[in-house]
Amino acid sequence: MLTIEKISASYGQIRILHDISMEVLKGETAVLVGPNGAGKTTLLKVISGALRPNSGMILFDNQRIDGKASHEVAEMGISLVPEGGRIFPEFTVFENLRVGSYCQRARNRLRENIDEVFGLFPILENRRSQVAGSLSGGERQMLAIARSLMSQPKLIMFDEPSSGLAPKIVVDVFEFIKKIKERGYSILLVEQNVKKSIQLTDHTHLIESGRLQFVGSREDFIRNPQIKKAYLGI
Amino acid sequence: MLALSAVVNGILYGGVLALLVLGLNLMFGVVQIIHFFYGQLLMVGLYLIYVFTIWCHIPLILSCLLTVGVLLLINTLVHVLVVKRLLTADLINQFLALASVMLILENLCQAIFGTDIKGIPINLPVMNIGELYFTTSNLIAFVGSLVFAALFYIFLNKTYIGLAIRAVAQDKEVAGFMGINIYNIYIVTMALGGGLVGIVAAFFTPIYSVYPHFGGSFTLISFIIVVLGGMGNLLGGFIAAFIIGVITILVSTFSNTEIGLIVSYLIFLFVILIRPQGILGAKVSR
Repeated sequence: MLTIEKISASYGQIRILHDISMEVLKGETAVLVGPNGAGKTTLLKVISGALRPNSGMILFDNQRIDGKASHEVAEMGISLVPEGGRIFPEFTVFENLRVGSYCQRARNRLRENIDEVFGLFPILENRRSQVAGSLSGGERQMLAIARSLMSQPKLIMFDEPSSGLAPKIVVDVFEFIKKIKERGYSILLVEQNVKKSIQLTDHTHLIESGRLQFVGSREDFIRNPQIKKAYLGI
Repeated sequence: MLALSAVVNGILYGGVLALLVLGLNLMFGVVQIIHFFYGQLLMVGLYLIYVFTIWCHIPLILSCLLTVGVLLLINTLVHVLVVKRLLTADLINQFLALASVMLILENLCQAIFGTDIKGIPINLPVMNIGELYFTTSNLIAFVGSLVFAALFYIFLNKTYIGLAIRAVAQDKEVAGFMGINIYNIYIVTMALGGGLVGIVAAFFTPIYSVYPHFGGSFTLISFIIVVLGGMGNLLGGFIAAFIIGVITILVSTFSNTEIGLIVSYLIFLFVILIRPQGILGAKVSR
């Protein structure tokens, strides 16, 4: 579904990504883990159109999307849940969901999508008229995920969904991601929390200093000795 | 009674100011430019209505509609030609470029029309309720401004484009992720800003006569209101417009226009010193 071929990207003069190539298959959950500053968020920015790559190609449903503006990428069916959620603080919960369905594809199905999303996240239904800026950290993350679902995406990308959240809330967030996975969505999950994301993965990728150091299944990932030591604390 | 009259007229004046600053606030909040030639755009609007009505013999209402359209176009053009390229530049570049537009507009009008005051002779009666006196033109301007402000509010809150505009004002990167074309929203916002100025020009036509330096004082008062209310905050600007309107008229009634303005500016300074972000502004960490 998503093919990334030899993507390199920089912020100004500083090169972040070096020749990254990876794939996300339809219906699967691809996980990208790595330490701080490895380039995980940068890769998501390149895919979603917020950052132009220096070189390389990205194909989504066999169409090139590298270099496209973010609204075009969104319209094609890729939805990003940014780090920290980044919900619109002055909008109510309902307005956040409404803006999530801005894409032409999703606009006509506002009612149905809202019902589906409230079914998954009943707390959001209780708070539908509440101003989003007054929600707690976990509720905001939930809202951000719900907002992404509103656009009827083909691929959902999560940027460090556990970031800044208390451990108990992290458990809840990953439960929701699991539910979304079970509904058949294609997912690209970028995380620092290896232990939690490993449980959901079909394909695992490890990125360090802008380069892919490992690609493989969950079993291979767990069995790899260096990874065991560095990331799983075993 | 004189005081009550002054307050009522202040409210009428405030209503029009409220519509005037709506455009300025919107453009600051969404496109994040400081629209230095705002008063001059209003001046151009008044000149255009004059030209259409007096030189081209077009009926007044039609002239006003045409002017709204032309101002909409002018503002959009300035965006595409000037502002767009400066969005990521230093603020000083933005300031100088837009200040240049201001000078161009003023001097262009002076070259075409000379320094004489141009006005359209429209005589509307003075009305009174008991001892309370106010002019019909002020009343029409007030009611009209509130109507348009209400329409604008509905537009912002009930339509998808209005939602998109408010989203871009809060977080334009994430707005892009939602599928909103930020560049188009900028253009829509600038067009709306121009159109709103045109509408105010229409209401001002029976009240004011225009001359090449007419713009300056309106730019100043618009900025003061916008900052007083909290830059980018539409409700704040609305409230601040009435505060300034009432104070200006009230003080002017008992002394003169200049003192009225001075007192307004002093109150503005006072509030800003105590609360720099304005009445409803959020504490900004830019």
